[in-house]
Amino acid sequence: MNNAVSFEKRRFKNRMNSMLKVDFHRALRSKVFYILIACALIMPILMTVMMAMMDGSVSVNQQTGVETVMRGPENAWQNLGTLPGGESMGGAEIFAMCNINMAFMGVAVFICLFITDDFRSGYAKNLFTVRAKRGEYVISKILFGSLCGSLMIIAYFLGSVLGGAIAGLSFELHGLTAGNILSCIIAKICLMPLFVSVFTLISVASKQKAWLAICGSLGGGMLLFMTVSIVTPLSSTIINALLCLAGSALFALGLGAISKLILKNTSMV
Amino acid sequence: MNAVEIKNLSKNFGEKQAVCSLNMSVPMGAIYGFIGENGSGKSTTEKMICGLIPKSGGSIKLYGKDYIDESVRASMGVLIEAPGCYPSLTVWDNMMLQAHNLSISNPEKEVISVLKKVRMEGAAGNKYKNCSLGMKQRVGIAMALLGNPTLLVLDEPLNGLDADGMRIMREVFKDIVRDGTRSIIVSSHLLGELQKVATHYGIIRHGKMICEMTAEELDKSCRCFVALKAEEMGKAKALLEDKYLKVVKDEAEYIRVYDSVTPEEIVSYLYNHGVCVTEIQTDKIGLEEYYIDLMKEGK
Repeated sequence: MNNAVSFEKRRFKNRMNSMLKVDFHRALRSKVFYILIACALIMPILMTVMMAMMDGSVSVNQQTGVETVMRGPENAWQNLGTLPGGESMGGAEIFAMCNINMAFMGVAVFICLFITDDFRSGYAKNLFTVRAKRGEYVISKILFGSLCGSLMIIAYFLGSVLGGAIAGLSFELHGLTAGNILSCIIAKICLMPLFVSVFTLISVASKQKAWLAICGSLGGGMLLFMTVSIVTPLSSTIINALLCLAGSALFALGLGAISKLILKNTSMV
Repeated sequence: MNAVEIKNLSKNFGEKQAVCSLNMSVPMGAIYGFIGENGSGKSTTEKMICGLIPKSGGSIKLYGKDYIDESVRASMGVLIEAPGCYPSLTVWDNMMLQAHNLSISNPEKEVISVLKKVRMEGAAGNKYKNCSLGMKQRVGIAMALLGNPTLLVLDEPLNGLDADGMRIMREVFKDIVRDGTRSIIVSSHLLGELQKVATHYGIIRHGKMICEMTAEELDKSCRCFVALKAEEMGKAKALLEDKYLKVVKDEAEYIRVYDSVTPEEIVSYLYNHGVCVTEIQTDKIGLEEYYIDLMKEGK
């Protein structure tokens, strides 16, 4: 009987690779992933077209008799942010909130469902039995979540352009350049890891409770939500993008370390 | 070197002590039957071995290395409580995910091979949520077998399996430990089934290991008895109780005599007292009875 046992040591790169493969393989077979990307693409088209159709219509308050004239968007870029000297989007305030930054909320839902499903299904047992280092799980989720968020941002951007074209809106840049628009999008993508690390932390703390993770993430996300339009305006330059990237990296490191600590010191089942 | 060496392991949940100074040794090449009542700490111990819950104290060594060593952990297969699968994915996708998780170089081939082992190759396209309890259990075992693990930790793996499924699993377990290096820890309440495969046993009670033994030691510890049926059972039992120390009637209505006595002696004794024996045989108590006796002694 040969009693020699040898164990192959997997390098960090291999372990991360395998963890990311698991996440991608799973996401590409999950309906939620496609639904959210589709929503990010369709929502701006519907909103822009509907708002454009409602432009100039008058609604009368039955009690006070006050007349309100609905104003639709005038420029396709209003879906991404506020143009210099203009309003963010028409006169309807509710739509002013629903611009590209909504993608951050979509990512919150996706990340929460994605992580809590690991614990609800019991798959976390398979993951954590073969990998002692909890950090790999957190890194993978932040990287993967950021990528999904970036895809949603890009989908929303494409949707806004398509919606603007369908509604016949102006693509006038009002003194901005294409570089500014591109930097704005890149800055939002760079900001994604910050949000994803917050959602990851809340999700790993919530474990099986998806409702708690979603409520916590949307609540926590709301606090940070307002800062997105401030740090990533339409007039963004590459400096904004770099600052967002640096801030995101710092937050992701700090919050990722807390997530890892939670995973290390709590039960996985 | 043992496959698993646990010293003074303890786990507290608040004020409740689930596992208390537990010592356990699983030799290489062993199928270790881990037995205990509900809530005795079996699953908690297994979860600690797998690193799924943090321990409160003590040490766990796997193949001489600390239990958090990456290389050893990557070579473990686990099925604890219920299989860890995503319900909305197919059996194939769940298996492929685990193959990726283990960095298996040729995942498709490996997945097909283990699905064949547990006779689930025909159900690979089924969604996991649509599988029956037995099928889910087979998928869980197949998942644990992926990547030829050196150490398998299986908690109630035989639950929900049909007779054929249990036979297949027995063959699979024996095949795994054949080379003498790989080991399996199996906890099960189906003691009869466990006895057919286990080479070592550990009996846990109230979070403490009350005994560890090999299958041979268990065999020696299990008392022999003579079981018989007679024409007048009442009279036969009374007569036997007068002469022998422990005489009981079992569930199958046999009179059991636990003493160093031969069937011939009993037949002759009863015949001399006018009782005719219709059936007689010698036997040994099984793991189940041994375990029940042990638990009664503890009480």
